[in-house]
Amino acid sequence: MCSGESKTNYQFPGTKVGRLRAVFVAPSATVMAVLFFAPLLIIVAYSLLSRGPYGGVMHPWTPENYRRVFDPLYGQVLWRSIWIAGAATALCLILGFPLALYIARAKRHRTLLLNLVMLPFWTSFLIRIYAWMFLLRDTGLINTALQELHVISQPLPLLFNTGAVILGLVYGYLPFTVLPLYATLEKLDPELLDAAEDLGASPWSALWRVTVPLSRSGIIAGCLLVFIPCVGAYLTPDLMGGGKTVMAGNLVQNQFTTARDWPFGAAASLVLMLLVLAIMQILRRRSEELL
Amino acid sequence: MNRRIFLLSVGGGPLACTLGRERRLNVYNWENYVASSTIPNFEREFQCRVRYATYGSAEEILAKVMSGNSGWDVVFPSNSFVRPMRELALLERLDHQRLTNLDQLEARFRAPKWDPLLEWCVPYMHSATGILYSKSVSRTPLAWADLWTDSYQRRVTMLDDSAEVFGACLKRMGCSINSGDPAELKRARDMAVRQKPLLRAYLSEEVRDQVIAGDVLVAQMWAQVAQVAMDNAANLAFSFPTEGFALYADNCCILRESKHKDLAYEFLNYLLRPQVAAAIAMEMRTATANAGARQLLPEAQRRDIVLYPTAETLARGEWFEALPGRVQRIRDRYWTEIKAA
Repeated sequence: MCSGESKTNYQFPGTKVGRLRAVFVAPSATVMAVLFFAPLLIIVAYSLLSRGPYGGVMHPWTPENYRRVFDPLYGQVLWRSIWIAGAATALCLILGFPLALYIARAKRHRTLLLNLVMLPFWTSFLIRIYAWMFLLRDTGLINTALQELHVISQPLPLLFNTGAVILGLVYGYLPFTVLPLYATLEKLDPELLDAAEDLGASPWSALWRVTVPLSRSGIIAGCLLVFIPCVGAYLTPDLMGGGKTVMAGNLVQNQFTTARDWPFGAAASLVLMLLVLAIMQILRRRSEELL
Repeated sequence: MNRRIFLLSVGGGPLACTLGRERRLNVYNWENYVASSTIPNFEREFQCRVRYATYGSAEEILAKVMSGNSGWDVVFPSNSFVRPMRELALLERLDHQRLTNLDQLEARFRAPKWDPLLEWCVPYMHSATGILYSKSVSRTPLAWADLWTDSYQRRVTMLDDSAEVFGACLKRMGCSINSGDPAELKRARDMAVRQKPLLRAYLSEEVRDQVIAGDVLVAQMWAQVAQVAMDNAANLAFSFPTEGFALYADNCCILRESKHKDLAYEFLNYLLRPQVAAAIAMEMRTATANAGARQLLPEAQRRDIVLYPTAETLARGEWFEALPGRVQRIRDRYWTEIKAA
């Protein structure tokens, strides 16, 4: 290393390009170091300390918090979060892929359609979840309409169950699948499909054997962008699930609020993070084999 | 630069600074706890600026001020948080000489259990946990035990709060809401798990709209929130369960870290003025701990037995206390088990 101030030049140390690169990378590297790695280190330290009497942390150092995370009770909570997040991700993909494909192939109004996908972000997520609660509750629009039309005599239990939680997650994160999928599908060369057709592939077969494999990176990105926040979600399970189910996010949140057990909360969130990383790796490998 | 303008700016600098150094006070309170005129009137009278913000949970405020340099001057912890905050040396010991309106407090708040000499806090608002219900139900829920019957077609909610759910279970068992006894807590947990299939959900304040709309018929609820619901729907009523129930009070405290203690004392004393406290209670429909203020309320509100239960009812109430870490941990574990069941 020639230049003392640059930490991030790997390829062209000392050269003009290398120095320039360091200058441009430095701000984002600093932001990452200060706002991501430093808090992460604090969380790691917290997870190894003992619970303070009223929240906070104190000595001595102990691995006890990690031992507690592997209690079957918390395993059950983690497993629940993973399957609910998995279900939401699968639904997002099933709904999002055709939508992204349609927008990518639309001849006109493509920008408008994309803006419509992003439109929900213009209002707060909390308000949108409350809107869903208004729609789904016993005296809500759906139940009232169905009762007025004499389709049902008793209100359907639409709110405060696992289905409602999954619905809320799918609704909230669908744009995150559509956008990366659109980005890959839009770049797809239409001539490849012509070629497939010339070679005798039916539209279905072309979809499965050409379009889907070529949009793999979009599918993976879309799935990860949904799965990761869903595993840690706590607002949706609380509001749409009526607090009757507990997901990992609620567990962690509880430790930092009512239970005032910061070290355990820190340990639980780190285990959750590692678990998500592991699942990501497995999915990536699998998808490489499959697609 | 023109010399005259230069001289003017040099002379004007210090002047602008003194003008800019207005007195400031930072107040962090619960939502719905001051009237629209409270803060502007204080600013006008005491020539200061108030930075006012609100929070929604007692834990939030503790977590924020725990560092000791939160930047707030006056906060409003619940009764069970006064002792922890005092033990963490976060609170300023109050000088009663400077709180001339302290004698306006209701007698039972002049020596409250959580701070008998009012050394650390001034009680502000109070309430209790009971049952908000629709008068249309066939069985009037007068006891916690009623919430374990299937008379309400699963249209029952409990608060999404472990202390409140354990409180109801423990009271039903004839125990203290602050119980730390593992055997009692275990029985309370089993009781809550048995109740779960009968419940629509665990919801806190947000259930209010659903009770008004008629989705939920019976809800464990705080009296103050229930009162607002009852003001909006004539078919609702509130009961203080026969087995006993939880009481709570929020208190004004000056943080030890405060750099504006003089103004903070003025603010506490201002809030204790009967006219000020009455305006808040009237506009926000809360229950003031200020006896002088209560006298100023309209007859109907002064005699409101939901906001101001009778002495006979209050005898069944029990104050929440700060629980030791060991107990907190058992309760959290059981709470997770209830939620995961």
